[in-house]
Amino acid sequence: MACHECDLLVDVPALAAGQKAYCPRCNYLLAANRPHALEMVLTFAVSGLLFLVLSTAFPFLGFSASGQERTVSLLQSILILVNNLPSLAVIIFAAIVLIPGMFLVGAIYVSAAIRFKRLLPGTVDVLRWTLMLLPWSMGEIFLISILVAFVKILSIADVSLGLSFWTYVLFTVCMAVVVLYPDKREFWNRVWALNHG
Amino acid sequence: MARGLQGCPICTSVGSADKVHCAGCGATLHAGWAESIQQTWAWLLTSAMLYLPANFLPITYTLYFGKETESTILGGVVKFWEHGDRPIAIIIFTASVLVPLGKMVVLAWMCLSVQLGSSFALRQKTILYRITEYIGRWSMIDVFVVGILVALIQLGNIMTVRPGIAAVAFAGMVVTQMLAAASFDPRLLWSVGEGQNSR
Repeated sequence: MACHECDLLVDVPALAAGQKAYCPRCNYLLAANRPHALEMVLTFAVSGLLFLVLSTAFPFLGFSASGQERTVSLLQSILILVNNLPSLAVIIFAAIVLIPGMFLVGAIYVSAAIRFKRLLPGTVDVLRWTLMLLPWSMGEIFLISILVAFVKILSIADVSLGLSFWTYVLFTVCMAVVVLYPDKREFWNRVWALNHG
Repeated sequence: MARGLQGCPICTSVGSADKVHCAGCGATLHAGWAESIQQTWAWLLTSAMLYLPANFLPITYTLYFGKETESTILGGVVKFWEHGDRPIAIIIFTASVLVPLGKMVVLAWMCLSVQLGSSFALRQKTILYRITEYIGRWSMIDVFVVGILVALIQLGNIMTVRPGIAAVAFAGMVVTQMLAAASFDPRLLWSVGEGQNSR
C-alpha cells in the first residue's frame, strides 16, 4: 500500500491480533489488526444509531429568562429553523442527524455482510460511500457548538440540558468508536475476499 | 508517486497513476494535475465570494423587548472589543474571520507553488496542507451556534433571535473550502522536477 501521509510504497505483512504497522519513513500508522474489530463496529454502530434516534425525540436543551421557561427537542429546533431560514435548517439537519445516520447504517450494512459471510447487493459501493460521507458528519463539532452557545447565553438567561442531549453525547461516543477503532484496510480486504469467494 | 503508481485514499489499494477510477473500490481518483488545480481554484473562488456576505451581512436579528437589532460577525467583534471583553473579541475574530481567510490563503499558495514549480519548504507546506484540511470542518461551529441560539431563544416580544442570510453564506463558505482542500492533491507539491506534464 501507499502511505497516506508521505506516499511511500510499503509492503505491509500480515499482522497478528494486536499488532500495528507504521510507515518506516514518516511513522504514520499504516495498518492495525485490532481484535474483534467487526463485533466492535457492529455493536457500537447499532447502539449509536439507537442513541441518535432517541436524541431527536426528547427535550434536548432548555432555556429560561424573565420567568419564562421552555425546552425544545432536536426535531422542534430544526422545525423552528425551517420556518425562519429553510436552507440553514437543511444544512444543519444534514450535518448533525442525516449524514451521521447514513454513515452508521452503511457501517452496519457492511459489517453485517462480512459477519454473515454473504455479499449483500452493492457492499463495495456502500463501503465506499460510507467512507466518503465521514468528513461531512459533524456530531462532535455540534457538541462543541452547544458549549459556545451556552457561553453566549449564560449572561442573559439560564440554560439546561435535557435527556436527548445526553443520548446525543452517547451517540457521538459510539460514532467515535466506529470511526477510530477499526482498520479500514482490514474491512476492504474482507469485502474483496467476499467478492472473489 | 514514483514508478507511475498512486494510492487510493478511500480503500488504500495501489494502482497505476493514469487510472481515473480505483480498481479496488471504484472511487474517482485525482484527475491529472491540471484538473486538480483547476477544481481547487474554482472552489476557492466560490468560497472567497461567499466570505464577504458571511462577514458583512447580518448573521442574526435579535428582538429584545420589542426592539430589533441586527448583528454581523465583524460587528460582534467590535462590540465585544468596545465593551472591554478583549479576549472574547480576539477569539471570535481569530476563529470566524482569520481562520477562514487563512485557509483560503494557504490553498491559493499551494496552487500557485505547484503551477510555478516551486520547491520551497515542501515538507512544511505538506504539513500546512494537512492542518488546513483537518480544521476545515470545525468552522461550522459558527453556523451551529446560530442554529442553537435561534432554536432556544423564542420568547415572543421579550426576546427572540432570527437567523440572517450570512449564516447560510458562512456555511457555504465552509463547505466550499472543504471541497477545495479535498480537490487539491498534496502530492503535486512534490512532483517538482519529476516531470509534471507526464500526468
